[in-house]
Amino acid sequence: MAVRISGAQASDGHAWPLLSPKAGMLFVLLLALLLLFLLDIVLGSVQIPLESVIGILLGRGAEHPAWEKIITAIRLPKAATAVIAGAALSVSGLQMQTLFRNPLAGPSVLGISAGASLGVAVVMLASGGAANAFAIRQLGFGGSWLIVIAATLGAMAVLLIVLGIAVRIRDNVVLLIVGIMVGNITISLISIWQYFSEPEQIQDYLIWTFGSLGGVLGPQLAVLGAVVALGLLVSFSASKSLNVLLLGENYARSLGMSTFFVRVSVIAATSLLAGSVTGFCGPIGFIGIAVPHLTRSMLDTSDHRFLMPSCCLVGGILMLACDIVAQMPGTQTTLPINAVTALIGSPVVIWVIMKQRNLKSSFS
Amino acid sequence: MNNSILQTRDLAIGYPAGKRLGMSGNRRSGNRSKIVAEGMSLELREGELVCLLGPNGSGKSTLMRTLAGVQKPLGGEVLLSGTRLERLSARDGARLLSLVLTDKVLTGNLSVYALVALGRYPYTGWAGNLSPRDEAVVRHAIETTGTRMFAHRHLGDLSDGERQKVMIARAIAQDTPVIMLDEPTAHLDLPNRLEIVRLLKMLAREQKKAIVLSTHELDMALQTADRIWLMRPVDAPHGERKSSIVSGIPESLVLDGQLEQAFRRKGFEFDLHSGSFRFRHDAERTIGLVGDGVRAYWTRRALERIGCRVVPGTAVPQHVVVAGENGTGHWQFFDGSTRNPHKLQALSDVLTAVGVSASSGEVVR
Repeated sequence: MAVRISGAQASDGHAWPLLSPKAGMLFVLLLALLLLFLLDIVLGSVQIPLESVIGILLGRGAEHPAWEKIITAIRLPKAATAVIAGAALSVSGLQMQTLFRNPLAGPSVLGISAGASLGVAVVMLASGGAANAFAIRQLGFGGSWLIVIAATLGAMAVLLIVLGIAVRIRDNVVLLIVGIMVGNITISLISIWQYFSEPEQIQDYLIWTFGSLGGVLGPQLAVLGAVVALGLLVSFSASKSLNVLLLGENYARSLGMSTFFVRVSVIAATSLLAGSVTGFCGPIGFIGIAVPHLTRSMLDTSDHRFLMPSCCLVGGILMLACDIVAQMPGTQTTLPINAVTALIGSPVVIWVIMKQRNLKSSFS
Repeated sequence: MNNSILQTRDLAIGYPAGKRLGMSGNRRSGNRSKIVAEGMSLELREGELVCLLGPNGSGKSTLMRTLAGVQKPLGGEVLLSGTRLERLSARDGARLLSLVLTDKVLTGNLSVYALVALGRYPYTGWAGNLSPRDEAVVRHAIETTGTRMFAHRHLGDLSDGERQKVMIARAIAQDTPVIMLDEPTAHLDLPNRLEIVRLLKMLAREQKKAIVLSTHELDMALQTADRIWLMRPVDAPHGERKSSIVSGIPESLVLDGQLEQAFRRKGFEFDLHSGSFRFRHDAERTIGLVGDGVRAYWTRRALERIGCRVVPGTAVPQHVVVAGENGTGHWQFFDGSTRNPHKLQALSDVLTAVGVSASSGEVVR
C-alpha cells in the first residue's frame, strides 16, 4: 500500500491520509494543456512548420506574412476560445451535478442553452428581412455582436425565470425538473418559430447550432474571457460550500451553510459561464456533462477545491483535442465542433468510466 | 446549578400553511397549517443521553428538525445555549448543534478523512482550509469513533455500521455541545448497534455532550437512556392526529404505563418484567411444562411461539418434561392419550410432536 509518510505518523503504522491527494496531477494536466494548445495552433488546413509557429508566438515574425496572420488572427484566438469554452462549460457542469445530485445534470439542464438558442432564433428567424439575414451573414455568425447579445439576453431571460422559481422552492430535485421543463418550453418556442420561417433562415440558425470556436476575435475574445473569469471566480469561491453539499441539503444546512446563497451563486455562475460561451460559440454539448465525470474518475476525489481547477484543465484539454480533430489536419474541410465533442468525447468517457467503475459510488 | 443546554418553551411543531412544494407530504391540510404536536416544554442537559421514542408518524423527525433549526417552529420557542434559535446565525447554530441524519450522502470519491473534515465547515475560512487545530479535532474525532483503520478509504466502500460511525465522527468534529441523531442504529446488526450506543453513551459521560437520538428500539432505549422523550398520538377533535410528549426516566415511564399506552396495538402485550413488547398469542391449548433453567425457558418460548399457553407442572394431561443436563438433555412429551412419554432429542421434535397431537383431535383444553 502506498502510504505517504507525513509528520503525523500514527502508532499503528497508518499515516493520516492527505486531504488533497494528487497535487502533482494538476501539473501534468497543465503540461498536457500547453502541449495541445501548441498542437492546435500548429495543425490546420495550411501547413506551417513548428519552428515558424514558435517564432511567431515569440514575436519574432515569420518568413511568410500570411502565416503570421493565420496564427495570430485565426488559430491563436480559436485555441484560446477552445480553452475558455472548455473550462467554462466543465466547471458549470460540475456545479450543476453537485447541486442537483444528479450525474446527468449539465450546464444545459436549467434551460440556459435553450434560452440562448431562443434569443438567436428570434434574431435570425423573426428579423425576416433578407437585408438583415444578409447583414448577419456578412458579419459572420460566430462573432456577430448581434447574435452574442441575443443569445445572452435569451439565456438571461430563461435564467431569471428559473431563479424566480428557485427562490420559492426548497427542493433541488424539483428545481431540476422545473429547469428541464422551462428548457422544453423554450425549445418548443424555437420549433414554432422555425415552422413559420423561410428555409434559408432555418439553415442559418442550424449552422449556428453546430457551434463554432472560430470568429471570437479581439474585443469579443476579451469580453468572453472577462465574463468567464468572473464566472470562474464565483464558482471557485463556492467550492467549500459545494463540498458540504455532497452531504445533502439537510446536512449542509445543519453545518450552517445557506442553501439559498449557494444555489443563487451556482445558478449565477452557470449563467455567466454557459450563457457567455453559448452566446459566442453556439450551443456546445457534451463537455459540460462529461468532463466532471472524467475528472472525478481520473483524480479519484470529490473535493471541489481540487476538482474546480482540474475541470478547467481537463475541459480545456478535451476542447482543444476536439478542435484539432474538427479541423481535420491535412484536409481543406472542417467538421462542426458540436458533432466532434460528442463523437470523440463519448467513447473516451465510456472507456474511463468502465475502467474506473467509481461513477456509481459518486452518485448513489 | 443549571447545566441545561437546550430548552423548549410551549413549542408547537408541524408544517405551516400554504406552499410546501418539494417537501414530502401533506396536501390534505390545504391552507391551514398542520400542527403535529404543541405545548412542548422540554429540557436537555449536558452529559445526558436522551432517547426520543414514539410510533411511526408521531412526529419524531419533525421535532428533531425543529430543534435543529432546519424547520421553523409553529409556535413557542427553542433556546439553544440560552439564545432563541432564530436569533442565532447559521454559523453559530452549527457550532452548538450537530446532526446525524439518515440522508444518503454522495461522497463516493471523498475519503473518510475528508468527509469528517467537512464537520469543520463552521470554523474554517472561505477556502475551507484546515488549521492545525482543525486537523487535530478531526483526528481526535476519528480516533474516538474507532474509524482510524479506514480513514483513507472511500465512504462507498464501507459497511453500514462503519459508515454510521464515520457520520458520527463528522458530528464530533463539528465540536458541538449538542448532537442529535435520527435513528442512528437503523439497518445495523446487533454488535454494530451496541457499539454505536456505547460510543454515544461514552460521549455523553466523558465529553459532557448532550445527545438526543430517535430510535424504534425500546430495549436499547430502556437500557441506556438517561431520559426518554416519549411522543404518543392522542385523539384531537376533527379526527386530526396530534401527538403529546412526556419526558421521564425510562423506569418511571414503564411503571406508570406510559410506554405501553404509546405503543399499544392489537396483538401485542407489554411485558413489565422484560421491558419489551411481545406477541400476545390467543392461546388455543394449554401445555404443562416441568423443568427449570435455560432449556426450560427456551422450551417455554418455543411452545408459546406456536400458540400454546404454558403452565408449570403436570396437572395438564399434555405436558413436556425437560430432562437431563445441558448437552446430554432430552425432552419427554406426554400427549395425554398414552401413559408413556415420547422421548425427544431435539426441541424441534418436541414442537412437531405437540403439533401432531393437536391435529389428532385429542386436544384437552
